[in-house]
Amino acid sequence: MTIAVLLKQVPDTTAKITVSGGRVDEGAVSKWSMSPYDEYALEYALQLKEGGGGDLVAITCGPARASKILTDAAAVGADSLVHIVSDDSGMDSSNVQNLLASAIRKTGAEVVLCGKQAADTNSGSTGPGVASILGFTCVGMVSEVSMEGDGFVAMRTSPSGNEKVSVSKPCLFAFDKAATEMRRPNVRGIMMAKKKAVESLTPADLGVTMEGSRVSLESHSAPAEKPPGQKFEGAASVPTVVSKLRDEANVI
Amino acid sequence: MPYDALDFYDVDSLLTEEERMVRDMVRDFVDNEVLPKIEQACRDGVFPDEWRVELGNMGVLGAPLKGYGCPGLSYTAYGVICRELERGDSGLRSFASVQGSLAMYPIWDFGSEEQKNYYLPKMASGEWIGCFGLTEPDYGSNPGDMITRAEDMGDHYLLNGAKMWITNGTIAQVAVVWAKLDGVIRGFIVEDGDEGFTAPEMKGKHSLKASVTSELVFQDCKIPKDRILPGVKGLRGPFSCLNNARYGISWGAIGAAQACFDSAKEYSLSRIQFDHPIASYQLVQNKLSWMLREITKAQLLAYHLSQKKDAGTWIPEHISLAKMNNVDIALEIARAARDIHGANGILDEYPVMRHMANLESVKTYEGTHDIHNLILGRHITGIQAFTRTLE
Amino acid sequence: MEVTIIAETTGNELHPVTAQLVGAACSIGGTPTVICPGGVGATEASSISGVGKVVSAEGECFGSFDSGAWASALSPLCEGVVMASSSAHSREVLAQVAAIRNIPIIQDATGLESGIRVTRPIYSGKAIETSVASGPCAISIRQNAFEASGSGGNADISTVNNTSDVGVAVREALAKASERLDVAEADIIISGGRGMGDPSNFSHLYEIADIVGAAVGASRAAVDTWDDIPHDMQVGQTGKTVNPSLYIAVGISGAIQHLAGMRSSKYIVAINKDPDAPIFSVADYGIVSTWEEALPALRDEFGKL
Repeated sequence: MTIAVLLKQVPDTTAKITVSGGRVDEGAVSKWSMSPYDEYALEYALQLKEGGGGDLVAITCGPARASKILTDAAAVGADSLVHIVSDDSGMDSSNVQNLLASAIRKTGAEVVLCGKQAADTNSGSTGPGVASILGFTCVGMVSEVSMEGDGFVAMRTSPSGNEKVSVSKPCLFAFDKAATEMRRPNVRGIMMAKKKAVESLTPADLGVTMEGSRVSLESHSAPAEKPPGQKFEGAASVPTVVSKLRDEANVI
Repeated sequence: MPYDALDFYDVDSLLTEEERMVRDMVRDFVDNEVLPKIEQACRDGVFPDEWRVELGNMGVLGAPLKGYGCPGLSYTAYGVICRELERGDSGLRSFASVQGSLAMYPIWDFGSEEQKNYYLPKMASGEWIGCFGLTEPDYGSNPGDMITRAEDMGDHYLLNGAKMWITNGTIAQVAVVWAKLDGVIRGFIVEDGDEGFTAPEMKGKHSLKASVTSELVFQDCKIPKDRILPGVKGLRGPFSCLNNARYGISWGAIGAAQACFDSAKEYSLSRIQFDHPIASYQLVQNKLSWMLREITKAQLLAYHLSQKKDAGTWIPEHISLAKMNNVDIALEIARAARDIHGANGILDEYPVMRHMANLESVKTYEGTHDIHNLILGRHITGIQAFTRTLE
Repeated sequence: MEVTIIAETTGNELHPVTAQLVGAACSIGGTPTVICPGGVGATEASSISGVGKVVSAEGECFGSFDSGAWASALSPLCEGVVMASSSAHSREVLAQVAAIRNIPIIQDATGLESGIRVTRPIYSGKAIETSVASGPCAISIRQNAFEASGSGGNADISTVNNTSDVGVAVREALAKASERLDVAEADIIISGGRGMGDPSNFSHLYEIADIVGAAVGASRAAVDTWDDIPHDMQVGQTGKTVNPSLYIAVGISGAIQHLAGMRSSKYIVAINKDPDAPIFSVADYGIVSTWEEALPALRDEFGKL
């Protein structure tokens, strides 16, 4: 069985994001990391591989710097590494999904794991979109997955609450925060990772014709400054504060 | 706040990708498994056993040694590991230094093939803990005059004497002990359980509280013949171990200094006095910029030394200078950081006083600050100043 | 402009965000068709003003949640710009509808102008992205970011029966985990300090936490004073460092060690009877009140949301 895991390199969630000239300044990002939900996907992909055998292929789509996370994945046990080299500006969601779907097809994977959304764009379209293109069953908001016979059992949050579901191949699991954190590598893994080749592919290699993006980025901007702190007298002010939390702060 | 490792000159960009991955692995271990437990470990005066297990799992013990189940990393990587561990605590780094440089290294360099095959894999995996017995109650800076003796009894050696200030002693399965056999210093491997060998723990330390420090006592201790290290005679044996450990310390001290700087910076930015953060006052900025200056210099020193170590172009005096300087500035930085934290600095809510107290030990062990000055003095002048009897 | 809305439902009811979707659709010049998956809430949807028509999408596949099956059943009913809520599940459905229809998707919009110019937060709100979609696309919107359309409409309801193969079999529905959320992971935290007077009073915090899905935290003073408050609840220098969207500090004076652990929270509410408490210096919304008076009011207001 071939297992594919989709990984994205993003600015570390602790990194400061600065905007200059209408664009997020990537050069100012102090640290790039594997997107946190993808780490859960990778951990469970490793567990599936250890449980049922098979080959684990780590796939990323992004600029040259992104190959770092593939090496990180190799250090914890990914068997092969695929880098779709592409500068993702100028691609819309379908471009990215088509590229990833083609790469998955090429590996022959019948089960795909990914994060429910990336920590940069916060979209959550890639996993389900790729599943749809490939005709795979999509299970989102997953916190655990294991093999059972020829298929899988997963824990997920559904609109009606937590559920244990079973699915058969081919399928895709998009991970929410999961029960087990991604394992730490060890020196042996790191030294092996150094020797592992990254297969670099262009859209042409994958037979994907890149149509022009149908969504054009107009600008990035810094979020509105928070208003200065406000102080209210007495418990009678609670409704005011709650409505501000909802309408001004948008946090509830 | 996540740890922001001060690296003003981006010295880490000189590391290989592999070295950076090792750094990130150890840093993650320190963040998630050391820092949440360190203060309690210090209060309890214990070295948490799960740290031993995880150091073994990560595969960092005996980092620069090759073969026999050892990691085979560069000395640079070993330095980086020490730095990241000591950012957590000097006691943790001491554990790793002693295991790798003082216990595994002599077996690796001076041991027989059988000894290497028997001991090293178990020590690299962390299954067995090692310690190193050189210093005695009355012979610290002057180990050449040690009292501990070994006697050849035909089918075994008989060991008599005592060692002191031995990191890991009580919890170790393996002790590399230096003793005089017919007046010549030799290395012996003593195992936990050997007849006549005890390792009582030394209590009441104000420093390195999360590290085990012991005495090693040998009273007619019987050692099988095959436990002598065949490959070395004289002080060269223990000194080659110490060179490696001191090298690691020159990196480790930077980690402690970075932790203190990070805490002092955070604190000074959030502590309001006279209506403003204390970081906005010139006296505080002066301290912070001095810390930045010294840490940056120490990083460059350690990095360049690591290149010489890996290239084999180093001399022991290079290591003396780095150990002496980097520990010295780390201790001064810890003191200044404690000062910036005001009264809060004495609480174990902040790491600064713990690092400060630890570094007092680090300044003294593995060649005191003054002894390293004398080593450099001898190097400059050609005149040794350790004794009054000039040669 | 042709706009299709996939209604948001919870159980057997229409979710209020559906009216906001209609409001958003009208603001870009649409007369939206609202599709109600499983036929849920069709009558209510037809009464939202501005709705062109309602399609009650019935089909066996809506009996449980399989986003792919839902998307297959719904996408033939969609035309033009397809909109849905940005709840986790609707995002999943919408992404597959977009893939099936081969249109680009923009998730979690907080602003919309005709054109179609879409504004959305990225990097967890550390930046805002504005982009323009040149043709049909899918857009999910954030709850409470758009004005809801009022009632008073009377759109026609048609029923279609369209199902698709379900690949996700629900084995077991599990009761909502009763275990408490961890402060390090929660998006909303409500913390108590020594000002709570007695550890038993933390029950008021738990009550509110259950309503909004928050974790309950504590200051070091509370943890040190009361054995019943475990250390893993502690937020601060020697406890956990947290950065939730909303941090509510109750009866916490705001010692520097506590601030160190929570000051990077996106929004901070402080409830303290002492108007000079340092916690107010970091609070976005401060309420000078005893907790005894403020917490019942807070519970009631949160309950109304």
